[in-house]
Amino acid sequence: MIDCDIHVQIGDREEFLGFVEPAQRAWFREQGPLLGMPGYTWGHPTGFMRAELELSKDGVPGANADLVRREVFDPYDVEYGLLTADDGVAVSVMPSAYRAATYARAHNDWMRGCWLDADPRFRGTILVPAQDPLAAAEEIRRVAADDRFAAVLLAGGAERPYGEPRYLPIFQAAAECGLPVAIHSGMEGLGLSQSSGGVGLPTFYIEWHTLGSAGSIMTHLVSLICHGTFERVPGLKVLMMEGGLAWLPGIMWRLDANWLGLRSEVPWIDRKPSEILREHVRFTTQPLELIDGNDELLFRMLEAVGAPEILCFSSDYPHWDFDDPHQMHKRLPAEWQDVVMHQTATELFGARLGQAVS
Amino acid sequence: VSWHDVGALDDLESQGVIVARVEGREIGVVLDRETGSVHAIRNRCPHHGAPLCKGTVRTRLEGEPGTYRMAEQRVLHCPWHGWQFDVTSGKSPDNARMRVRVYDTRIEAGRILISA
Repeated sequence: MIDCDIHVQIGDREEFLGFVEPAQRAWFREQGPLLGMPGYTWGHPTGFMRAELELSKDGVPGANADLVRREVFDPYDVEYGLLTADDGVAVSVMPSAYRAATYARAHNDWMRGCWLDADPRFRGTILVPAQDPLAAAEEIRRVAADDRFAAVLLAGGAERPYGEPRYLPIFQAAAECGLPVAIHSGMEGLGLSQSSGGVGLPTFYIEWHTLGSAGSIMTHLVSLICHGTFERVPGLKVLMMEGGLAWLPGIMWRLDANWLGLRSEVPWIDRKPSEILREHVRFTTQPLELIDGNDELLFRMLEAVGAPEILCFSSDYPHWDFDDPHQMHKRLPAEWQDVVMHQTATELFGARLGQAVS
Repeated sequence: VSWHDVGALDDLESQGVIVARVEGREIGVVLDRETGSVHAIRNRCPHHGAPLCKGTVRTRLEGEPGTYRMAEQRVLHCPWHGWQFDVTSGKSPDNARMRVRVYDTRIEAGRILISA
């Protein structure tokens, strides 16, 4: 089993600050617990993290390799896990691109020093300052030389949808290094980013968790396809993370139909958008929607847009809406289980997992 | 197959399109003003049944991402949803299963004849 979304936490802030260049260390320290990351507008009413998890000496769950091994890798027999940033995903919506580049660099070095060296099953994601795409591309090339980094990580929250040509250097650098770009929902409406619904900020966390996270992923997906990003960067693969799935057939049906009538606006799209998606885009499963036990309907709809081959399992440990790998395995149709729990991720990360690339 | 007189070329030139009923089928004769060519096309879009020949003939666009280039192909855009059909073959360039019937045309002594 491969888990594509394990959020490792910064527990010991001084340890993290040790990876920040000395001239900027004090600034980050003085920003408080989030180390300068824009904080969530909406607090979770009872806590963002699973409440029963063991805490590190700093009082943070999932904040060291032992905890993550004991709570995810060992009990669920995880072969490889993709370690993702948590608050750090907000780096791309920081107002200062300079601070963002510094934080991203420190996070990548911290990922290598405190995590990847600790367990051969850990795979890293490369944090980049998307508000400065050239700096982001440079960071990708610097860090990708270590083949334990398996993907570039961007936030759902952004200044513009990622198909905009300004972001091309990020996608080109990732593809050049053989890395997929993972776009993880979150940070919509924070810092530099826009609210993803187009009608201002919602009131409650429940609203954001239902709409904001899905909306940004939909927007980036449609943008990347319409701008022809996959034609400009033919080897590119994108992994959409934690944006939900039940909406996907509806959005792709709308996009396919619109393309027939509006094609002259994007004449470089010479095949159905849903075909481009099947070739280039993958999705993590968590949180897989619950539809009153009518999973058969959900799975049939997802098959219409390419499931199970477009799906990769993710647990989202240590967050409150964690999907348990054993439960997910049981929930999936028998013929989907190996594809979703293992095969799609193996093909996506191939060489970076030490596997043969098909 | 026989040839049917569907109207005067003068009328087509002034109106741009003539709709005729031939053996129970509505057929539109469209003048492509840019190329000067005349096309007879079944006046019913296979998508939703729109009067296809009331649409607009344009040059199909192509290009690399972010660039626009005129292709050789002339396409009729349906007036309702904008789906495109090649004016010569009737085929949708975007959907292999979608096509509209087209008919041969001939101009004789100022009259338009179509083969149906």
